[in-house]
Amino acid sequence: MILCCFVLLCLAVGAWKRVPVYDRFAEGAKDGLRTAVQILPGLMVMLSCIRAMEASGLMAAFCSFMQPVTERMGIPSALVPFMLLRPLSGSGALAMLKQLMETHGPDSRISLLAGVMMGSSETVFYTVSVYLAAAGVKKTRHILPCALLSCLAGYAGAFWFCP
Amino acid sequence: MGSAVLFGLVTGRGEQVFAGMLEGAQGAVEGVLRLMGSFGIFCGLMNILSASGCVEWLNGKLKKLLKMLLGNVKEEALTYVTGNLSANMLGLGNAATPLGLKAAKLLAEGERATDALCMFLVINTSSVQLFPSTVVALRAAMGAAEPGAVVLPGLASTALSTLCGVLLCKLMEKRT
Repeated sequence: MILCCFVLLCLAVGAWKRVPVYDRFAEGAKDGLRTAVQILPGLMVMLSCIRAMEASGLMAAFCSFMQPVTERMGIPSALVPFMLLRPLSGSGALAMLKQLMETHGPDSRISLLAGVMMGSSETVFYTVSVYLAAAGVKKTRHILPCALLSCLAGYAGAFWFCP
Repeated sequence: MGSAVLFGLVTGRGEQVFAGMLEGAQGAVEGVLRLMGSFGIFCGLMNILSASGCVEWLNGKLKKLLKMLLGNVKEEALTYVTGNLSANMLGLGNAATPLGLKAAKLLAEGERATDALCMFLVINTSSVQLFPSTVVALRAAMGAAEPGAVVLPGLASTALSTLCGVLLCKLMEKRT
């Protein structure tokens, strides 16, 4: 439903602004395909890492280690590794999101929560380090605490706003 | 990965660990193949939006608000900040990064981050994306009944995270 509205909106805006809709669509699709190929190596490494951690029992050990704390806060323990990985690595989080959808089903609450968290936060550490390196800044002041707390607020929002 | 292999060897699950790694790598290839279809559609639609001048339209709306948040900054820096954030809002990551790097350079003065630079980075990393196309594309590729179910809760929580980030940043800029 939402997606159909979105498609209609894009087409309507394009037609209204007299954009050559077909050409721009094809051009964007080409970009999308290129992006998909670009993320493949990272996704491959992260997914094989995650699978290895699952097969070795390390993931389960970690989840059950965290369980007493997370359960009290009402967080499903399967989500914890995803929440920790999200600020560190974009392709890692994407790989984990795919994994969660495979094990729990794409329509499960866990997958929905992880999807919302994915969209409402960023790879904080990576982005901050790239931008500050470009600007030649060394004293980061309150950037990281603020960015990480706002990421946490996004996580809390996911629990709040997911049906 | 190393820790997983060691843990697997210690617990006697070495064989399964390698099988898992292989399965993961193959899963990535299959996943990307499936993702390509839905990714193509969403990036195509987004490109129609950006060709229709949506970035410029958002720029106009954002500029006043950002001027308030960033305080006294150079007009040129403000233009790049606005461009970066509106491109991010539409999920045009490739367009956003060069603008953002330029903005960061213009906002910086010496080695200590300025208040404006802190605010810009906190807003940027709190994610301001209006339509999470990657997540929706992945959900569609994985066969979710309602791939768009993340859009509205996502919008609400990203608004919450950005708001918290901005408030915290304002509170802490005098103390650091």
